[in-house]
Amino acid sequence: MRQALLSLPLLFIVIFMVVPLGVTIMVSFWERAGLRFKPAFTLKSYETIVEGARLDVLIRSIAAAVEATTLSLLIAYPIAYVLARKASPAVARLILLLFTVPFLINYVVRNVAWTSLLGRTGTINSFLIQAGIVDQPLDWLLYSNFSVFLGLISTYMPFMIFPLFLSLAAIDRQYLEASADLGASAVATFLRITLPLSLPGIFAAVVFGFVGCLGESAVPIIMGGVGYELLGNTITSSMDVLNYPLAAALSTVVIVMMLLLMVSWYLVFDLKTFLGKILEWRS
Amino acid sequence: MRSSTSRLWPVWVLIVVVLALLYAPTLPVIVLSFTDTQGNPSIVGYAELLHTDIVIKALRTSAVIGVAVAVLASILGLLAAISIRELGIPRLVLLCMLLPLFIPGVSMGLASALLFKIMGISPSLVTIIIVQTLWALPFATLIILTVMATFDPAYLEAAYVAGASRLQAFRDIEFPLIAPGIFGAASFSFIISINETIRTSAVQGPWNTVPTYIWSSYKQVGLSPVLYALMGLIILSTFALAIAYLLLTVRRKPAA
Repeated sequence: MRQALLSLPLLFIVIFMVVPLGVTIMVSFWERAGLRFKPAFTLKSYETIVEGARLDVLIRSIAAAVEATTLSLLIAYPIAYVLARKASPAVARLILLLFTVPFLINYVVRNVAWTSLLGRTGTINSFLIQAGIVDQPLDWLLYSNFSVFLGLISTYMPFMIFPLFLSLAAIDRQYLEASADLGASAVATFLRITLPLSLPGIFAAVVFGFVGCLGESAVPIIMGGVGYELLGNTITSSMDVLNYPLAAALSTVVIVMMLLLMVSWYLVFDLKTFLGKILEWRS
Repeated sequence: MRSSTSRLWPVWVLIVVVLALLYAPTLPVIVLSFTDTQGNPSIVGYAELLHTDIVIKALRTSAVIGVAVAVLASILGLLAAISIRELGIPRLVLLCMLLPLFIPGVSMGLASALLFKIMGISPSLVTIIIVQTLWALPFATLIILTVMATFDPAYLEAAYVAGASRLQAFRDIEFPLIAPGIFGAASFSFIISINETIRTSAVQGPWNTVPTYIWSSYKQVGLSPVLYALMGLIILSTFALAIAYLLLTVRRKPAA
């Protein structure tokens, strides 16, 4: 009875998440029959991806996800470092919560809000023209790569701070003191002790950011404008025309990349230690 | 150490700038939600909300689903946190609980939609609640877990020695001490629920929540006073709930 109760959450995850992901992979090999789909074993959906313009979309999406994640990491790491090392626990907690709230606000609302700042008649352009800095509204502010990256980074960077903060906060300060006592400079201590010990957190942040950016569907529509296609909104538009096998195949690409990242995390970066750090963490 | 503190001042500037950038876009929306089409201050948008049936229905649906997700996710999160302590495979259980964080919303929405289609379950409030609970569960589990980490299990041992059953010990000793974490998890899950769009829209069927209504009318007709009012409402209620969450969880003193 007690065991059964305690395994409920696991069962919930398995039934409503692991099984559905398996179903997605299965349906990606099924065929389309009118507006429905039926069991089969065909690679047709994958052929559609490879042959059509969708391959470009896939490659561009992976590139965009890599770039946005790298930029996010460069912003999130120093923030997490300062919060873990230099801030009091209360201040760190408050700032972490401040970073969480925008992440929680409905991302459609958040991105639509950006458009009212960045558009041709938006706040920024009106200000620049009134101040006489430019005479034409800046076009690249919205419906551009700039705005899409802004959308991706502002959506996923804030939450990448958390795993980084966790792994940095868990580093034993005695290592740092030992390093300093042995005459290492602050930079050397960072490169040889702090950075390697925070790798599990870096990897958690990278997986979270990369997978999120790769599957993001609202940002390209709102911030990219008409015709800006990334993998995420290609999946939703396949769903809109009820081509579920194609949507499933595109989604399978994302799922397989996520699994590969998870497995390499397990093998290379010591996932177990990272999970252990979460378990030991006291706020 | 002291010298490195002063050298890190650019990072504090970065924190301030990034936070300002993250909050900046919400300001024009809040201002516009209190402005009429001529640009004068007014609450015409909010008044119109109350006269639009579809919006009232969406508000009600969001509220019902939000409460259900808050209850379900905090119960499952509590059970998950206990099972992490007691099932003997803590890391595996934790990894499973965190999995939904690493699956993009669109893939999770599609996967749930396919599962329900194949099993012949038609979209309903229940399917929406399941999908949103899945998304809230990692956060609920982590929040309860961190509060539980401040609880000393020796108290439970003492209760057992004194003859309490496991249920009694939990109810009388542990629950009161970790209750702030459970309420924190519930309010966090509620915030997540009322803001979720992409997973919900894959399994919504005929039901609209506030975010799916905003998303579909934005795609179909673009921005309108009603939409600004709804967005203002979402932003302001998220801020209010976040402050409530902070108050719920910050008051607790670490168990001595």
